[in-house]
Amino acid sequence: MRKTLAGAAFAAGLAMALAPMAAKADPINLTIGKLLEVTGPLSETGPSQDKAIKLAVAYANEQAAKAGVPIVAKDIGADVQGDPQAALSAARSLVDQGASCLIGPSITPESIAIANGLTIRKRVTIWPTGTSMRLRTIKDEGTIFRTVPPDSLQAYALVAAVIDKLGSADGKLVSVIYRNEPYGEGLAKGFSKAWEAKGGKIQGPVVFDPAQATFDSEAGQVVANNPDAYVIIDYPDTYAKLGAALVRTGKFDASKAFVADALAFSTVPSNIPPQATEGMRGTRGGTPMGTDAYKIFDDLWRKAGGVEHFSLDANSFDSTTLCFLAAAMAKSSDPAAITSHIRDVTSPGAPKFYLTNLADAIKAVYGGQKIDYIGVAGTFEFAENGDPTVSLFDIFEYQKGKLVVLKQIDATK
Amino acid sequence: MQPNDEMSRSESEARRGGDAPPFLWAGWRRLPPVVYLALGLLLILLLLFAVAGPVEAGQSTLNGLVGAGYFALGAVGLTLVYGVLRLVNFAHGDMLTFGTYVTLAITSLGVPFWPAAVLAMIVTALLAVLIDRVMWEPMRRARTSTLQFFLAAIGLAMVLRYSVQFFAGSQVRAVGLDTTSSVDIGPWHLGSLQFVVMLVGLATILLTGAGLRYTRLGKEMRAVADNIALAEVAGIDTRRTIRITWIVAGGLAALAGILYATAIGSINPNFGFTILLSLFAAAVLGGIGNAYGALAGGIVIGLAQEWSTLFFNPRWKPAIGFAILILTLILMPRGIFGRRKARI
Repeated sequence: MRKTLAGAAFAAGLAMALAPMAAKADPINLTIGKLLEVTGPLSETGPSQDKAIKLAVAYANEQAAKAGVPIVAKDIGADVQGDPQAALSAARSLVDQGASCLIGPSITPESIAIANGLTIRKRVTIWPTGTSMRLRTIKDEGTIFRTVPPDSLQAYALVAAVIDKLGSADGKLVSVIYRNEPYGEGLAKGFSKAWEAKGGKIQGPVVFDPAQATFDSEAGQVVANNPDAYVIIDYPDTYAKLGAALVRTGKFDASKAFVADALAFSTVPSNIPPQATEGMRGTRGGTPMGTDAYKIFDDLWRKAGGVEHFSLDANSFDSTTLCFLAAAMAKSSDPAAITSHIRDVTSPGAPKFYLTNLADAIKAVYGGQKIDYIGVAGTFEFAENGDPTVSLFDIFEYQKGKLVVLKQIDATK
Repeated sequence: MQPNDEMSRSESEARRGGDAPPFLWAGWRRLPPVVYLALGLLLILLLLFAVAGPVEAGQSTLNGLVGAGYFALGAVGLTLVYGVLRLVNFAHGDMLTFGTYVTLAITSLGVPFWPAAVLAMIVTALLAVLIDRVMWEPMRRARTSTLQFFLAAIGLAMVLRYSVQFFAGSQVRAVGLDTTSSVDIGPWHLGSLQFVVMLVGLATILLTGAGLRYTRLGKEMRAVADNIALAEVAGIDTRRTIRITWIVAGGLAALAGILYATAIGSINPNFGFTILLSLFAAAVLGGIGNAYGALAGGIVIGLAQEWSTLFFNPRWKPAIGFAILILTLILMPRGIFGRRKARI
């Protein structure tokens, strides 16, 4: 009897405790996992990616509160170390801590390891900033979305950048060197094919192993036969050594060199010799800078202080926002539910929303409406494989150690 | 290495008759292996001059010698520790890293680079002695097995690397010296700092080799390397000898790290570990436990890798370097300067 009474009292207490929660909808507690390159060959990108995601989380929270939508996000991070195994462990720890989406990593083999080892099975979306086409060789079952244009497009942008300088491709010899990785291989092959299709000639490619102690023989092969241009697909850590080796050949002219997004720095790091970069040009995924969305993003960036803008910061900002919107639409922080709503918030033909009216966008999706969210980096409207339709690239040049954007081009044209 | 010992052993074997090799074989054995090595390399070089042209072949030879300098200098300390203590010191690469980061830390206090480098060598040598006191000596006393030593060394490597990372951060750091200047030697060119590294590397190895051969301390080290119990009975203070071995190995590791870092211009906490495999290769190829062996091994691996780029895409460089290592070990199982028992 006493037991029954105690049970009844407990049940009544529980009902009373739960009553206010039932009256008001449960807030959605969303956790965004950051897969950051804190160490390893792309450690230059870690701080800016971290900042971009944090800013996106804070801004989305603020806008959701403004819209009166009960969703609150927080971010947690882990270092992927530039290593697929370490990346998989990092992703595991984030998912174990409740991450619903994973933003990053920057190196494609890391993304592949994470997808195959964890996220496809758990239906967690990952949002890599690695641009290699190798990513699309795996069956990700709709769990990998990229807000950055893939290298198949960057290869065209690179061709356009070289033609912009040389006038035409006809009969022009370009010496190609790349770091032995899917990123370098995919981009270099794509470039070579497109360049030859335009009537140009290719020397090499010289392929180098990043762990080598010296790069002098490689550098010698690049500058041999005095080519019209060099295309160098590399990461910052090795370019510090390869760049010095190129200068040591005595035949290298940096103003004839072209690089891709992994070597796009707002300020050239001090460990890369200035003679290896001054006058060098390159391409990177471009962010339309004249838009109101960019102004908000740039304002947030400046007010927060800390690191300067770096390649693909706007893209990771957008990835985070998209995850937030999909969670708001799914009314859940369940990864699988979010995965199934990504395309509903970037739906072609649906009403367009921007960062400028993010609060309205959150309200709309929470009400179950499909939208077409246009990010800071542009329109996404994901293709079948999860790659975006954006194709804007910057052509930049290093002038006095600073990156100066010369023009923006649409690589599909 | 003692070429005279080698000769007298073959001679006495030949005289004894028993398992004596045939006459021609004995004659072949009489020349020290280093002569064959030098002749072989020279022959290949001449062939390359004929096939690839003197400019390319000469340039790749110079590049190979630069690599050889890095590998050999790093491998000396490694081979010394193995020779005396039979310890496969997996933490050696991270001692290179440690020494270099200490140098950078001291320069950040306003001390000029080269005096800072000397201080860093002393600090690294002291660390090596401290580690021996805290870790290796108790393990030796407990008669720990080789495998356990090996695993402990891997553990120590991690501790060192992540300690450096904890204090200095993981980012790439510039050493701050000009890595782009080069000197022209006829049609060939060579980075000025690379040239300095080669010279210092060569001088250090020759000095170490001569020190082991001619000084009392060197003789004591060789005695301990040969038979520690016998050395103790003979009145050698083995603990002191081991301590000095660590001082030399630690100092050389720091020197190797500093020179390598100045020549390549920038480092991160993984750089020592990244080249460790090449250092092992040089040490093993030369005959592990032999100071000159490290030099010979470094030269063979450095040249093989760079020469290969004359014919193959540089992406195959490491594969070819290690294929040469395997081939040499099949032909000379104890390495170029190898002995029945490892000696220094």
